[in-house]
Amino acid sequence: MTPQDITKLIVRVSMKDRAAFDMLYRQTSAKLFGVCLRVLSDRAEAEEALQEVFVKIWTKADRFAVSDLSPISWLVAIARNHAIDRVRARRQPASDIDAALDIADPAPGPEAMAVAGGENERIYRCLDELEQDRAAAVRGAYLKGESYSELAERHGVPLNTMRTWLRRSLMKLRECLER
Amino acid sequence: MSLAEDNGPERGGDEILAAEYVVGVLPADERQAASRRIDSEAAFARLVDQWEVHLAPMANAYQPVEPPATVKPAIDRRLFTGGAGAVAPTGGLWASLAFWRGLTTAAIAAMVIYAAVPFINPPAEAPQMRLVASLAADNSDVKYLAVYDAAHGQVSLSHVSGERASDRDFELWMIEGQNPPVSMGVVPVGATSHIVITPEIREKLASGAVLAISLEPTGGSPTGQPTGPVVAAGDLKDI
Repeated sequence: MTPQDITKLIVRVSMKDRAAFDMLYRQTSAKLFGVCLRVLSDRAEAEEALQEVFVKIWTKADRFAVSDLSPISWLVAIARNHAIDRVRARRQPASDIDAALDIADPAPGPEAMAVAGGENERIYRCLDELEQDRAAAVRGAYLKGESYSELAERHGVPLNTMRTWLRRSLMKLRECLER
Repeated sequence: MSLAEDNGPERGGDEILAAEYVVGVLPADERQAASRRIDSEAAFARLVDQWEVHLAPMANAYQPVEPPATVKPAIDRRLFTGGAGAVAPTGGLWASLAFWRGLTTAAIAAMVIYAAVPFINPPAEAPQMRLVASLAADNSDVKYLAVYDAAHGQVSLSHVSGERASDRDFELWMIEGQNPPVSMGVVPVGATSHIVITPEIREKLASGAVLAISLEPTGGSPTGQPTGPVVAAGDLKDI
């Protein structure tokens, strides 16, 4: 499926075309389930989240028209944001979260597999300009949906320090991306 | 370049907040507040969208995992149960009990947000030519989704963002090739609106024609040609 094909499916879904919805599910559910699973690191919860994500896609497909995102990135953003909302809504002792994150982190960094194409190089080149632990914090937060408090704990710094770090890193990233 | 100098401290604050939202680090309450602003403030929503675009390549690292076969039927139950079965209800989405039931079970909170999202209801049977155009322009936050339904000879407009001034109207135009724009009428105010198309325009509406919206005095252009700026435009495409 080309991005144009997925765009067509999203537009048809915005017009409540169920055949298009079924096709969109077939084409994209594995990727979106991968997103939910990585962020939530719990299969049952990820399945629940995936259901909610596709309910959202059905109801807000017309919003795709105002986004500059590619169709698959737009779908991933819905799934990612929803999974992060779910993770934030959990009330869990920190130790459980640590355990969950250990499970969630699969062996050799899949980030390494992500390098392909100009856009990719740009964000990775910009991440490379950051100090190593800060780049790792941005990536970890993005991929696993880690919160400021989880990052602070993992990096062994106070919460406010973590916040200052990450904000500075994000501003540096932005300057680099717009260079 | 300093953000504070260029845009004022508040703008810099929003820029950071948008980035924090997209990266996903905010605590629950701040995340919810940001999410509400995305729904209500177009400028903030754009900042968030830009950050999503910047960071999207990192999502390549997510490995696809096939979900269990039980998930899709569960989604369909949430969205479509309530008697409608596999056929979209002919009364339109808003009249559909299944839709409201699905929505209720899906999320009450989501309903508050999505009730504001306009829907365009295609007829359930007799597939006919339908063309769609996403109308937008640089330097304007006015955005519409337009769907031309040949069977009903009307264009449905779904208002996505951007407001008209109190003493101005939006007027819809069709531009076909090098010909001068032809008015299709003033766009009614509202989340969803329909404009019935005259037979002459119907004949010319085809894939490739451009729809454009201009800002005009109340009641529409006095000259029969656009007099104000084009605030949104887009090609009609087959779907």
